[in-house]
Amino acid sequence: MTAIAAQTRSVVLPGRITPRRALLSCGVLLLVLLSAIALTTLVGSERLPAGQTLCALFSGGKASCGLSANQWAILFEIRLPRILLSAAVGASLASAGAGYQALLRNPLAEPYLLGISNGAAVGTMLALVFFGSVEWSRPVMAFAGALLASLAVYQLARGRAGASPERMILAGVIVTTFLSSAIVFITTLMDATRIRSFTFWLLGDLSGATSRLLLVGLIVSICGAAVLTLFARPLNLLMLGERDAFDLGVEVGRVRIIVFLTAGLLVGTSVASSGSVGYVGLVVPHLIRLSLGADNRITIPAAALAGAIFVVVADTLARTVIAPRELPVGAITALIGAPLFIYLLRRG
Amino acid sequence: MREQAATRELVDEAGKHVTVPTNVERVVSLAPNLTEIVYAVGAGNRLVGNTEYCNYPVEATRVAKVGDTLHPSAERILALQPQVVLVSTASQLESFTKELADHHVAVFVTDPHDLAGVFHSIQTLGDLLGEAARARMLVGNLQSRATAVEQAVSAARPVRVFYQVSERPLYTAGRDSFVTDLIRRAGGQSVTAEVPGAWPRYSDESALASEPEAIILPTGGSMGNGNIEVAEPLKRSPAALSGHVYKINDDHLNRPGPRLVEGLEALARALHPEAFKQ
Repeated sequence: MTAIAAQTRSVVLPGRITPRRALLSCGVLLLVLLSAIALTTLVGSERLPAGQTLCALFSGGKASCGLSANQWAILFEIRLPRILLSAAVGASLASAGAGYQALLRNPLAEPYLLGISNGAAVGTMLALVFFGSVEWSRPVMAFAGALLASLAVYQLARGRAGASPERMILAGVIVTTFLSSAIVFITTLMDATRIRSFTFWLLGDLSGATSRLLLVGLIVSICGAAVLTLFARPLNLLMLGERDAFDLGVEVGRVRIIVFLTAGLLVGTSVASSGSVGYVGLVVPHLIRLSLGADNRITIPAAALAGAIFVVVADTLARTVIAPRELPVGAITALIGAPLFIYLLRRG
Repeated sequence: MREQAATRELVDEAGKHVTVPTNVERVVSLAPNLTEIVYAVGAGNRLVGNTEYCNYPVEATRVAKVGDTLHPSAERILALQPQVVLVSTASQLESFTKELADHHVAVFVTDPHDLAGVFHSIQTLGDLLGEAARARMLVGNLQSRATAVEQAVSAARPVRVFYQVSERPLYTAGRDSFVTDLIRRAGGQSVTAEVPGAWPRYSDESALASEPEAIILPTGGSMGNGNIEVAEPLKRSPAALSGHVYKINDDHLNRPGPRLVEGLEALARALHPEAFKQ
């Protein structure tokens, strides 16, 4: 609870975040992200010559730079799309997390805690069970699942005096546990060979990037993070309390619906393409607030960039540590995220 | 009661000492390959429970079901009063094994890593069920069929094979899988033979770089129409481009039981058709 107090305090202190500082921080993060993408294309279960790889990369795939046909295919058809998808998923989950935390004035609010990831997971699983051959049914059903879960949380939380943050977190817990049971139920009904694929996917798997899913992921992550950033000012005011925000002219209900829809879309597309990559939406916005302060105008875009960096690095570990075998990326983000989160909690 | 009955001690394939009655009258099998072995050694009439996946032979479908391989119900197993429960791999079943042990039910684990190990499992289960002679005959017969296959392909150049367990995410057979041994006996060389583990999640990049000459898709049996497509990174492999993609009944390849020899024969015929022209 001290965390909320600290956030609120930093919001009321004006002038702490200057536009220059915001631009500078985001610029630095963007540079780090681009270098991370370039550097991680150099590592993988197959060794690619560094010089030729970077040459081909900066030519935009037009020049072969002496790479063999197989090496070129590994770089541009497998490795780079996967890294870009990692970036999209990281940016989506972290900016959605920052959005939920501001909206609910709760530092623990996160796509997973609110049951929205589980909603998207159930949607994706149902799409696979009933429309297995139709590729686009997965993101559509995942988005629908995420929206239904958000709607359920929203409706459950709404009391006579409007939805309080506490009620909303409780509602999220209920929706999460309900949907977890649904996931267990569906996996139990499926046969053994498919369960193995699902357990891997449920822990996060970025290997399945078809070019269409990747394109959707990239567009949604950029537009979604931009929309949330546009609502950063009303979200800042909401962090003071709903009544205060209302008195200051914020249309609380409208902001809440738009943020919920946008974050649901971000989470839905991420889960549809890569399963559940945990802790990103929780840990990344926290680290950003600790280092850059709690002004959402900077927290949201910075969290998006840092989330992208985090998942790019985590997935590089997932695909190289025990190569040519692979680890689920969600296990890596949880292994890094959980201890970090406990440390943050203990620091208060 | 049963404590009075004569018992003997065996060592199962997990290295555990198991005390079983001399005359085993009631058995539960927790895997389809074990169910097939029980019937093949002629002890099918003593099988009182098996899993949802146990669909061969047809009689096995009429036996009481205790759940599936991953989620067996301890209650149902105990209600069937088995003297021995047969388990295929030990990993997920440790707490479960303890619960059965607490109720004086012996748990016997099999864990074969190659064809010889499968033959050994068949013989051991035959011994356990008091059908040693019949098991010996069965193993002898299977062994000679396997030898015939190996002799037929012995002169052929080994074909580089990718064994695709599932398309997405991409799983294959690794070092510890009996399938890797089966491919070698069928005149092939698995490109993932050195990968640690039995069924590893395999890197797309490494699959693309492996350039197999033949791809095996276990499908069409219990798998239904799953795994019928070649995985994306293998679509431009020499195997896929030259049409050397073979679908083989997954129940003959994925179940380390008597029918594994049918899988071996199918594999060898796919990889070396010239060796079987009469």
